[in-house]
Amino acid sequence: MKKLKLFIAFFTVLTSGILTSQITPEFEIGAKGVVSGNLNINSEESNAVSDFSDTQLLLGLKQKLYSSWRSDFVVGFQFPDANSNLGQVYFNNVFIKVEDLKNIFKIGRSTALTILNEFPTLRDDDAMKFIYTLNPFSNGDNTERDQYANVLEYTRIVKQRVLISLHGENFYKNDSPDDFKLNSMGFALQYRIPESQKWNRNFLQDIGISFNNYFTNNKSIKSSLKYLIFSTTLNLKPDPINFIDFKFQSIYNFGLTESTNFADYSDYTRSKSTSMFGMIRYIKQKYERLDYQISVGAGYKTFADTDTDQLIFVGNAFYRVGDNFDLGVQYRYTKNNGLAKNLFGENENRIQLAFVYSFDKVFNKQFDNRNSILNLEHKYIK
Amino acid sequence: MKRRDFLTTGAISTAGMIFFPGNLLSNSAKTENKKRLVQSLEYKMNDGWKEFELYIDIHIHEPAPGYKYHTLAFNDMIPGPEIRVKAGDKVRVKFINKTDLNHTIHWHGMYVPWRMDGVPFVTQLPVMPNNTFIYEFIAEPEGTHFYHCHWGTLMHMQAGMFGSLIVENDDDIIKKRFPYTREYTLVYSSHDTNYVREEMNGMLERMKQRSYLMKQGRFNHEQWAVFDNKEQLEQSIENGYVPPYATNRRSNAELPQANWFTVNGKSYPSTPYLFIKEKENIRVRLINAGAETHNLHLHGHDFWMVADDGVPLEHPWKRNTVPLAPGKTYDIIIEGKNRGIWTFHDHDVRKVTNNGLYPGGNLLALVYDDLPEDELIITKHSGNPMLNPKAGMKMDMKSGKNNNMKKMLFGDDKLPKIALDE
Repeated sequence: MKKLKLFIAFFTVLTSGILTSQITPEFEIGAKGVVSGNLNINSEESNAVSDFSDTQLLLGLKQKLYSSWRSDFVVGFQFPDANSNLGQVYFNNVFIKVEDLKNIFKIGRSTALTILNEFPTLRDDDAMKFIYTLNPFSNGDNTERDQYANVLEYTRIVKQRVLISLHGENFYKNDSPDDFKLNSMGFALQYRIPESQKWNRNFLQDIGISFNNYFTNNKSIKSSLKYLIFSTTLNLKPDPINFIDFKFQSIYNFGLTESTNFADYSDYTRSKSTSMFGMIRYIKQKYERLDYQISVGAGYKTFADTDTDQLIFVGNAFYRVGDNFDLGVQYRYTKNNGLAKNLFGENENRIQLAFVYSFDKVFNKQFDNRNSILNLEHKYIK
Repeated sequence: MKRRDFLTTGAISTAGMIFFPGNLLSNSAKTENKKRLVQSLEYKMNDGWKEFELYIDIHIHEPAPGYKYHTLAFNDMIPGPEIRVKAGDKVRVKFINKTDLNHTIHWHGMYVPWRMDGVPFVTQLPVMPNNTFIYEFIAEPEGTHFYHCHWGTLMHMQAGMFGSLIVENDDDIIKKRFPYTREYTLVYSSHDTNYVREEMNGMLERMKQRSYLMKQGRFNHEQWAVFDNKEQLEQSIENGYVPPYATNRRSNAELPQANWFTVNGKSYPSTPYLFIKEKENIRVRLINAGAETHNLHLHGHDFWMVADDGVPLEHPWKRNTVPLAPGKTYDIIIEGKNRGIWTFHDHDVRKVTNNGLYPGGNLLALVYDDLPEDELIITKHSGNPMLNPKAGMKMDMKSGKNNNMKKMLFGDDKLPKIALDE
C-alpha cells in the first residue's frame, strides 16, 4: 500500500508539469429537462403529478489530435422511468469517438442504431414499439435497454451527405446481465442533409435503410433475429418561418419461427411484424428562433401469422416561453388487438402537460464542425 | 522583452512554404519579404477618375504556418490591397460583394461626401450579397489612412476586412525634412478566430433565411431588427417584439477575446522585416485596424513621430515606444544609425503570442541589409566564452567540450533563428 501511495505521488509530480501545459479541450454541455404531469386513462400506469423521466445531462470533451483528427469523450446520464428497474439514474452514454472529415469511430455505451430518424414526441420512447427495433434479450422492464447498448461503430462519410455505417453492439441480456460479448451487428446506409441546410431543401431531407441482426441463436433457437428499417424525412414546406416536414419510418421484423404466441415481452420482440410510423411537424419561427411547434402522427404495427395489430396516435404542441424553455402538451392514444392486448392492455389514453428545458453549449470552442456552413461551402479546414 | 538567443529549429518548411530563407541578408529573403508587405491595388484611368476594383469573398487565411481559419478578405488577401493615390485625385472604387453577407466600406480618416462614408443605415444601405456599390470621392486629406467594413464591424474587421489607403502629397513636408527612399506600411490587427468562426457560421445561416424571405417580399423590419424611427420600435415592443440585445439574441453571447495578433495579416514567424541601411531613413506607416492597443517598441533606436492620423506633425519628436490605439495611424521615421538586427515588437507581450503561446504575434525585426555577414556568426561575436573564446574574460574550456556544445545548441553557426517555443 505504501509503495502504491509512493507511486501515485511520484506519478503526479512527474506529470504535473505536463498536465498544467495541456490544451484545454472544448467542453460541451447538453441538458434536457422534461417534467410532465401525466393523466393516464385505461392504463396500467398510474397518473403522475411530476414525471421527470428522460431528463438527461451530457458532458463532452473534444480535442484535436496531433494528426488533425478529433476525439470526443462523452459521459451522460438520464433519469429513467420510475418502474424501469434501473435505479434513480442511468448512465446512458460513456463513449469515445474519433473522427475526421470522412470517418467516425465510436466505442462505448451510446445510442444504438436501432432507429434511423428522430420523431418530435415529448419523450424519445413515446412511440417505442413502433419506431425502434426492440431488444430481443430484454424483458421489457424499460426502454433504455432498447435504445442504448455498448457499441462499436464505424461510419464512412461520402461527399458529406452519404453515411455508410457498420456497427456491432452488446445489448443488455436479462437472463445473463454479465455477458458483454457482441450480440448484434448491423449495416446502415443513409443520405442526410447537414443540419444547417435542412430547412431549404425542396423535398428530401434524409433517406436511409438499415439491416440489424441480433444473435439470438442458441440451443433452442436456430436463427438470429433480423430487422430491416427504412426511414425518410421529406420537406413539405421548406420555409424559414412556416416550416413543415414529414418524418416516416418502417420496420420489418423477420421474426423467429419459435416465437408466435406472445408468451412474454421477449416473445413479442421476436415475432414477425411490420410497423409504420409517420409524423407531420409544423414549426413557426418568426424571428429566427422557435415560436411554436405542432406535430401529429400515427403508427400501425401488424404481426404475421396472428390476428394481432397495434395502433398509435400522437399529437403535441410546444410553445417557446423563453430561451431554452418550452411549454408543451401531448396526447397519445394506443390500441392493442389480438395477442398484444394480453401483454399491454386494450387501449390507453394519455394526456401530458410538460415543461421542457433544452440547452446545448460548447465552451472553449476551438475548431469547426464538419457540417458547418464554412466547412461545407468554403472548403474544409482540418 | 529582453534580447534573447533564439534556439535552433533547423530548417523548417510547412506545406512547401519556406518562411525563413537560410540567410536573412540574401536576395531570396528580400523577395520572400515582399510577399509579407502590403500589395498594391492597380487602377485604370477613366475620364480623369482613378478606378479601383475591390471585391470581398470568404477566404482561408494562414497567419502562421500550420494554422488556418476562414475569414473575409478583400481581393483574397489580408490586409486588403493598398490603395495609393495623390491628394486631389478623383477616386472611384467599385466594390463587389461576392459573399452571402452584407458589407460596406468606410474610408477611415478621409473627407469623403457623407453618402460615401460607408456607415450602414446612416449614410447608405448595406451592400447586399452579390451586389455592387460605387464609392466616389476626392482623395483628401493627405496621409496614412485605411479602409474597412463598417457592417457587423465587431466581426467583419477582425475577420480581415481592412486595408491601407495612402494619400500622397508631391510636396510632402515629411519627405523634405527626412529624405527617404524606402517606406513600409504595417497594418496591425487582433483576432479571436473562434469568435470569427462562430459568428460567420451563424450569420451565413441567418442570411440564407433572410435572402429567401427578401426574394418573397416577406422580410420585415422586425425580422431585420431595423426601424425607421423610435416610434416604430416602441410600437413593435408594445406588440410583443423583444429586442435582440434582451432575451431574443440571435448571435454569439460573448465578446471576442483575441488569440491571434497580426501585422499585415501575419504572425511571427511570418511577419515582415523592415530593411534599412546605415545612414538611410525609412518611413514606416503604422495602422491599427484591430480592437487592441499595441505598444510598439523598437530596440536599439529612437524614431521620429512625423504624422498622427495622417496629419504631418509640425514638430516631430523622438521616442522608442508608441501606443497604437484602435483606429489610429502613426507615421514614423527610423534613422539607420545602429547597425544590426533589431526586434520591433508589441511591448504588451501578451500580443507577442500565437494562440496563447510565446513567441508569436507582433514580433518583427529591423534588419540592416548592409550588415556584414560575418557579424551573424555566433561563435565569432557571442559574449559567451564557452562559444567564443575571445569573449571578454577567458575561461578554461576543453576544445572537445566546446565542439559538443556548438553541435548541441546551434545547427548553423548563425543568427537570427526562429524560435517557436521556449
